[in-house]
Amino acid sequence: MTANNRIKENPVKYYALVLFVVSLVAACVMSIANMLTRDIIAEEIRKEFLHGLQAVLPPFDNSPDEENVELNGYKVYIAKNSGKLVGYGVSTTTNKGYGGAITVLVGADIKATITGVVVLQHAETPGLGDKITLVSWTGQFVGGALSKKFAVKADNGDIDQFSGATISPRAVCDAVNVAATILQKVSVK
Amino acid sequence: MLKQALKTLREGIFDNNPTLKQYLGMCPALAVSTSVANALGMGLATTAALVVGCTSVSIFKNSIPRKIRLPVYLVMISGLVTVIQLLMNAYWHGLYKMLGIFIPLIVINCIMLFRSESFALKNGVFISFVDALANGLGFTLALVLMGAIREIVGNGTLLGAPIVTTMPKTLIFLLPPGGFLVVGFLVAGYGYIYKKIGGK
Repeated sequence: MTANNRIKENPVKYYALVLFVVSLVAACVMSIANMLTRDIIAEEIRKEFLHGLQAVLPPFDNSPDEENVELNGYKVYIAKNSGKLVGYGVSTTTNKGYGGAITVLVGADIKATITGVVVLQHAETPGLGDKITLVSWTGQFVGGALSKKFAVKADNGDIDQFSGATISPRAVCDAVNVAATILQKVSVK
Repeated sequence: MLKQALKTLREGIFDNNPTLKQYLGMCPALAVSTSVANALGMGLATTAALVVGCTSVSIFKNSIPRKIRLPVYLVMISGLVTVIQLLMNAYWHGLYKMLGIFIPLIVINCIMLFRSESFALKNGVFISFVDALANGLGFTLALVLMGAIREIVGNGTLLGAPIVTTMPKTLIFLLPPGGFLVVGFLVAGYGYIYKKIGGK
C-alpha cells in the first residue's frame, strides 16, 4: 500500500498527524525562544523599573527595588543615599482609566513632598488620553504635598485635563492620591 | 524573474494595495493610525511578519495537505509572530514597548492569511517573498498616509512636531469615527487617481 492510498483511506488520521507535528515543532521553537530570551527580558523590565524609580525619587545609590517594605499590601521602595534615607516610592494601579488599568509610580522625599510621577502602564487612546505619559503633564504633581488631594480642573482641582480626554487624567489623579496616602503613612512611621 | 518581481512589487504597493484596493487588515489600520509613529511601527512589524510568514508558507506549500491548510498557517504564523515578539522584547525593548499590543494582533491580520492563501501557496519562494514585502510596504504606506492625515487634522502635529497652529484641532479625527472618515476619503482619492492613470 502506498502512502497516497493510506491517506485516501484514512485522511482524518493523517491530517491530525500533520497538525500534531506542525504544532509540536511550533511549540518547541517557541519554548526555545522563550528560554533564550526569558532572562534578558526580566533584566530589561527590572532596568526599566529602576529607570522609573530614578525618575521619581531624589538621587539615591542603593537598589530600592530590592530594599522595600510592605504596607497595606503595597510595596514601598526605600531610597537611600550614602546610607541616609532620602525618599520613598510606591506603585499603584487604578482601573478607572478609559482603556482599563493605569499603573503609576509615585516618589516622595522625606519632607512629604512629591518628587515625581511616572505612568508605568496604560492603555489610553493614542493621541488623546496617552498624553498622561508626557513629562510636561506629570510634572504638575511635582512639589505637591502628600496630604493634598489632587484633582483635575473639571473637578475643581488644579491638574490640567485634555480637551476630549478628562477620564485618563482623572484616573491618574486617583492613583496618585492612593499612592500619596500610603507614602504619608510611611513618612509618619 | 526581475521583471516579474518588479511587477509584483508595484502591484502590492499600488495597483493592488492591501488597504486601499483589497480592503484587508482594516481593523489594525483603523485602530493604530492615530499618529504617524504608531502607523509606521505597526506597518513595519506587519511587513516583517508577512515576509517571514508567507515565505515559509511558500517553502512548505507542497507538504501542507489542502484541507487543513488554514489551521496549519495559523499555527505557523502565530509561532513565528511569538518568536519575533520575544526577540524584540529582549533585544529591542524600546521598540517593543511602543508596539507591544500591536504585535500579537498581526497573527489574525487577514493580509497575512489572504496573501498566504492566494499567492504564497501557488507561487515560488522568491516571488512569494517579493509579494509579501510589497503588500507589507503597501499596508505601511496606506497606514502612514492615514496616520499623517489624522495626526495633522486631529492634533495639529506631524511625528509629534507641531505644524498646524492656526486651525482648531478636530478631535473626532483621532477617535474611531475619524478613522472611518479618513479611510473613506483615502479609498475615494485612490480610486480617482487610479482611474486617471488608466487603471481599471
